[in-house]
Amino acid sequence: MLVKLVMELEDIPGQLLRALEPIARYGGNIQSIIHQREHKTPLGRVPVTLIFEIEDQSRLKRVLNALKSRNVLVTQVGEEVYTVKQTVILLGHIVHADIRTLVDRINSITGTRVMDLSLAMGGPRKESAARLTILSDSDRHARKAISWLSEFCKQKDLLLITSVGGPP
Amino acid sequence: MRLLIIGFGNLGRGLVESLAEKKSFLYRRFGLKPRVVGVVDDSGAATNNKGLDWRLLVKKAYQKAKVSAFPNYKRISAVEAIESVECEIVFELTPTNIQTGEPGLTHIKKAMKAGRHVITSNKGPLVVAFRELEHLAKKQGVEFRYSASVGGAIPVIELARKLLAGNEVLEIQGVLNGTTNYILSRMAEEGAPFDQVLREAQELGIAEKDPTLDIEGIDTAAKLVILSNAILGRDVKFKDVRRTGIARITPQAIKLAKETGNTIKLVGVATRQTVEVSPKLVPLGHPLAVGGTLNAVNFKLDLAREISITGFGAGPRETSSSLLGDLIDVCRTIA
Ligand SMILES: NC(=O)c1ccc[n+]([C@@H]2O[C@H](COP(=O)([O-])OP(=O)(O)OC[C@H]3O[C@@H](n4cnc5c(N)ncnc54)[C@H](OP(=O)(O)O)[C@@H]3O)[C@@H](O)[C@H]2O)c1
Repeated sequence: MLVKLVMELEDIPGQLLRALEPIARYGGNIQSIIHQREHKTPLGRVPVTLIFEIEDQSRLKRVLNALKSRNVLVTQVGEEVYTVKQTVILLGHIVHADIRTLVDRINSITGTRVMDLSLAMGGPRKESAARLTILSDSDRHARKAISWLSEFCKQKDLLLITSVGGPP
Repeated sequence: MRLLIIGFGNLGRGLVESLAEKKSFLYRRFGLKPRVVGVVDDSGAATNNKGLDWRLLVKKAYQKAKVSAFPNYKRISAVEAIESVECEIVFELTPTNIQTGEPGLTHIKKAMKAGRHVITSNKGPLVVAFRELEHLAKKQGVEFRYSASVGGAIPVIELARKLLAGNEVLEIQGVLNGTTNYILSRMAEEGAPFDQVLREAQELGIAEKDPTLDIEGIDTAAKLVILSNAILGRDVKFKDVRRTGIARITPQAIKLAKETGNTIKLVGVATRQTVEVSPKLVPLGHPLAVGGTLNAVNFKLDLAREISITGFGAGPRETSSSLLGDLIDVCRTIA
């Protein structure tokens, strides 16, 4: 899971390292660090936003405990952050049951959610079109969603149109 | 510089007209004095070892005349012409056949074996026998150019191979077929169904009576094979291309795409692992989101990151730009 965490650090050397150590210790993988020096608090602390990947909730808890015991002030812990947004279009004889399977299946992939679904039904015996917007927390999960989708479309004889700038 | 032109159709005639128009430019700029010592089509050959008269050539080109309308034309085949006419450069501009590569493949091989440099616009021989022809050219010590075979006027291959030579090309993405791009662009503008826009394109002469090669993505796939081999250094065959055409695209699909700031284009994508032609969502404002019959290519590169190029992918005058570019390049190389 991807976690967003905001903490306030004293503006003296070594503070950030002290805060990052527990994350590394519990297998966390830091993806970004943003210092907001221009938003110093009245007490002179600097807000720092971290985004990191970590195995599960229990490890996150251990990280938070460790930070607490080091007197690191955590002001905000966010849920997953989706960094990859993909839009795809499906064309063919799409039935409602398919759509339900599709959404459920994509939502069951770790770190992936269907954010938006739009349907344009064709006339009788005409093909319909559906647009899905899929959010993922990593390129890997985004690729997984697409590869599952293409398999699904092959089976149902649907045409899958992906984006030219898709994840590598 | 003596030129033998095999194929006197749209491109053969367009080349003759551009050469005539640019005669003094070519001499002033490059010191080149091209002479057309023969033009050949299916009806025969008109030859003159001192060079055919420019006014006659331009007149016949303008009239869209067959070679049999030239005075003193001979009923000989292209192969016989290649073997009997003294020249430095052979232009191979006959119709594309991506199954056999013929008649172009035989013409090119004969010309190389006779020690002639070859410039072609014909995709067939390149799709069927790319490596073989490159090897043969090397072995025979002749130059071989095919800029016009992909992207019409756009210098796709030369851009990648010469100007971007310091990069590793990671991916090539291209809108490489003017007909399908016209159809998809019109569908997007008008909300009109595929069949109707196809008929309109056929009436305008943009689509062929039999549009299969374009709408099923066969033409795009052939061009992608050439780009993969010429730029990515791969040895790809036509059958390696995963291919989906545009016949299933509906106005509703394009409308759904539009609502999220996208459009739908037929895109060829080649990397070191994959070669695929399929309809793709392209964000409006992306280099590939070009309208009308335009073509566009976007390179992903290790150093430059992205470079894209747009232009006219067909048309005799436009494509003669590539043929002339190749001619000048060959002359510079052998000078
Ligand atoms: N048109 C474009 O804008 C464009 C752009 C890029 C690449 N290309 C490629 O360039 C090539 C030429 O295109 P085009 O539009 O000029 O085609 P075209 O108008 O059909 O002309 C083909 C010419 O080749 C001649 N020909 C056919 N078989 C021959 C043979 N066995 N020996 C000698 N001549 C023969 C034809 O003669 P007859 O008329 O007597 O049959 C005709 O003069 C094609 O491979 C095409 O794919 C075209």
